[in-house]
Amino acid sequence: MTAPLLDVRNLSVGIGSTGRLILDDVSLSLKPREIVGLVGTSGAGKTVLSKALVNWLAPPLVRRAGEVVFEGQDIFSLGEREMRETRRKVAYVGANPQGALDPTLPVGRQIVEKLRATVPGTSLLNAETAAIELLEAVRIPSARQRFADYPSQFSGGMMQRALIVDALITNPTLLVADNVTQPLDVTVAAQVIRLMKELTEKFETAILFISSSLAVAREASARMLVLDEGRIVEDRPTEDLIARPDHGYTRDLVAETPKIWTTHFTPPPAADDTVLSLRDVSQVYKVKRRTGFGGFDELRAVHNVTFDVRRGDSFAIVGESGCGKSTLMRLLSRLEQPVSGEVICMGEDIAKLKGQRLLEFRRRLQLVLQDPFGSLPPRTAIGAMLEKPLRVHGWRDRAQIRERVETVMVEVGLDPNLYGELPLGLSAGQRQRINVARALVLKPEILIMDETLSSLDQSEQFKLLDLFARLQRDHGLTYIFISHDLAMVRKVCNRVAVMYLGEVFELANNERLFFDPGHPYTMALLSAMPTLEPRRYRPEDCLMEGEPPSPINLPKGCSFRSRCPRAVDRCAERPPHLTTRGQRDFAACHLVVDPAPPAKAALPA
Amino acid sequence: MASLTSDTELPTPMLASQSIARRIFHRAVRSSAFRVGIVLFVILLLATTFYPELSGIDPTKMNVKARLLPPLFFGDNWSWAHPLGTDQIGRDMLVRTLVGLRYSFLIGVLSVVVTLLIGCAFGTVAGYFGGRIDAVIMRITDAQLSIPMIILAIAILGVSRPTIPAIVIVLGLSNWPVYARIMRSVMMTERQQEYVRAAKVSGANDASIILTLLLPLLLPPVLFTSILDIARMMIFESILGFLGLGVQPPTPTFGNIIADGRKYLMNAWWIATMPGLFLGLTLTSINLVGSALETARNAIHEGKS
Repeated sequence: MTAPLLDVRNLSVGIGSTGRLILDDVSLSLKPREIVGLVGTSGAGKTVLSKALVNWLAPPLVRRAGEVVFEGQDIFSLGEREMRETRRKVAYVGANPQGALDPTLPVGRQIVEKLRATVPGTSLLNAETAAIELLEAVRIPSARQRFADYPSQFSGGMMQRALIVDALITNPTLLVADNVTQPLDVTVAAQVIRLMKELTEKFETAILFISSSLAVAREASARMLVLDEGRIVEDRPTEDLIARPDHGYTRDLVAETPKIWTTHFTPPPAADDTVLSLRDVSQVYKVKRRTGFGGFDELRAVHNVTFDVRRGDSFAIVGESGCGKSTLMRLLSRLEQPVSGEVICMGEDIAKLKGQRLLEFRRRLQLVLQDPFGSLPPRTAIGAMLEKPLRVHGWRDRAQIRERVETVMVEVGLDPNLYGELPLGLSAGQRQRINVARALVLKPEILIMDETLSSLDQSEQFKLLDLFARLQRDHGLTYIFISHDLAMVRKVCNRVAVMYLGEVFELANNERLFFDPGHPYTMALLSAMPTLEPRRYRPEDCLMEGEPPSPINLPKGCSFRSRCPRAVDRCAERPPHLTTRGQRDFAACHLVVDPAPPAKAALPA
Repeated sequence: MASLTSDTELPTPMLASQSIARRIFHRAVRSSAFRVGIVLFVILLLATTFYPELSGIDPTKMNVKARLLPPLFFGDNWSWAHPLGTDQIGRDMLVRTLVGLRYSFLIGVLSVVVTLLIGCAFGTVAGYFGGRIDAVIMRITDAQLSIPMIILAIAILGVSRPTIPAIVIVLGLSNWPVYARIMRSVMMTERQQEYVRAAKVSGANDASIILTLLLPLLLPPVLFTSILDIARMMIFESILGFLGLGVQPPTPTFGNIIADGRKYLMNAWWIATMPGLFLGLTLTSINLVGSALETARNAIHEGKS
């Protein structure tokens, strides 16, 4: 048994002069080279704990009792100079890579600066070499050039890697990783977690991996701590914890984590008539060229997307950031018009709608937006917010409007007494209900859910999903979910379109997509998805290192080629199109073989 | 730390039946700053409306015998007939100041209204629509900004007669680009908000989004800051009066009273001081009311009852 590297003893942290404790008698220990997961809901005190470990408690937070012993020394007893020395051994990576890097300095310089500040006497040249070596170690391609690039030229995943380098450059023995994967896409997050595991071996660093998701923390760590309302309620090996959660809170956490492979999905009956269909829809944006004398680059946001949505469907559009989901949402809701192709609703191309017909289309198709805070006009009473769409659509009778609004409020589970209130102090879930109500008051037929649930916590998501299911039954709604959350999609959607760099890579029914994916990218996505169940696909087999190519300079051939473990020569030559796999399922991959002869080349439905 | 506090301090939504505007007003009334300001303002308003007529003193009537009388309790020859003393040709300072206040205040308020109308209209359109419209409007504001106020005033008021409408227009024109810029920048950030998108999807057109959604949200803070500009405009009017481009004598305004009094500053300090005092009082009262309203508005929108 080695001596613990970090030993937290009975640490209590409170707010200012009030008696409230954020951390209550927390004790934990970390051995060298160990990754320990720490999970808890928002507000459980995770961030405060992570700050306390690196001696970053700022007023109004005060340490009430206890000590943090790092390599045999209580860090709270250290003076400022000694603490600075210690900082080279304790590193911290946060959840907001954009905010942590100075946008006006090249990334490399910031890393060198940190090294030279914490390890005085490092020569500039040595520091640069060390930084470049580490950038290579975290697999930033062409690290030497990237060293001189500015943070704005890095993608989110690369920035997070650069920050890990920034943390590791001083060769720390302890790395506190606070929600590092939260802002990242699943495939990139999986890569980062894999990277961190390797780093513990390579650099002999112990990692405290803090996460709000049990499944993510499980990927990373062998031992798990559970923090609930400032107390550590569990401290056990991960698998044991998940198999037999002790504490009530952990049980809830395990139960709430969605299951993907062990549940079965019964699709709600969808009618045969099509309510919305896309025909070769493309959207291209012009982006100002950064270098040279102006000129524009073309950014291919959505490329030849074709699918049908049937009445009663819960249709999901999934993909990672930058895949064109949001552009597609804007095209579907006619906030933008495509450069080519058409979106057909009620038998008409929506681009051609005008006046009354356009208003009628607006009534049928409504949007529920992502951000529960930005999507409600501030300083407007809830009732007024919900009345607005009715007024736009020509309702004039005050009593009638009020009645309709109150009916909808009750329907989505809002207290009608909130009518004259501002949406202040409402939880994200309540606000999202207002959002749903605003969309519903016009009695639409199609609702587009643009990442509607992504900002809510697990239990709130479940409640809203139940609400959605009830509304769908009562009103025969058709849903189009735009999401990156495959677990949610697995639970509620009957049909799924997977997008990558503006193209639909796969279009299939729920069961088929998850259990028999036709496209390597779908498989990569599925393999990267953190769950508590035994994995169906191993990420090592499904996903290569690397990041999606820039949508401005797309390579020839298949755009997934650079990350695809199964790429063949043909993939570099020409892009694949959607090929049918039978049973109305399609995938855009050269490896997919059409089971039936292309006699009746049907459009994907 | 936001996540820590927001979880625990969920205010239970109050169930007031009053509209939000009324709640703001009621909250403002409860503050002492508002009460002091409104009392001061009402006193000044009543005085300037009724005193000149009720007292029967003509602000332009000269009285050489009673020239350069000091205000009450100053010096040895003060009199109750002229509480604020008299000027170099024996005109009553109180009446002159109150009449001057009328003109100055009128000019201040009207020129701010002109500024706001032009500035907010341009700024809103530029910020909301962006692109080419924005470029054109912003070049116009740049052109306007490059003309110094005094030069503009001399050009316009020197050519036409310096009447009150002309002065209002000059002052209004000289200041609007600031408002155009402010409105444009807030509009540009606000139009990208999701709730604007939600309004568009619900079928609202641009005009109704601007007029019923964005302006009610963005205008109040601008209005509150513009109250401070009333003061600035009154001072500018004084400057114009001082240059001889303001309202022409014998009509008293703060500008020309101060300009007159400047020559007698050594032996009759009160001539130039009294308008300044009243200017200060008026502005203090307006600012107190304005800031109390703004504080109340912010408090209500932060969820206090």
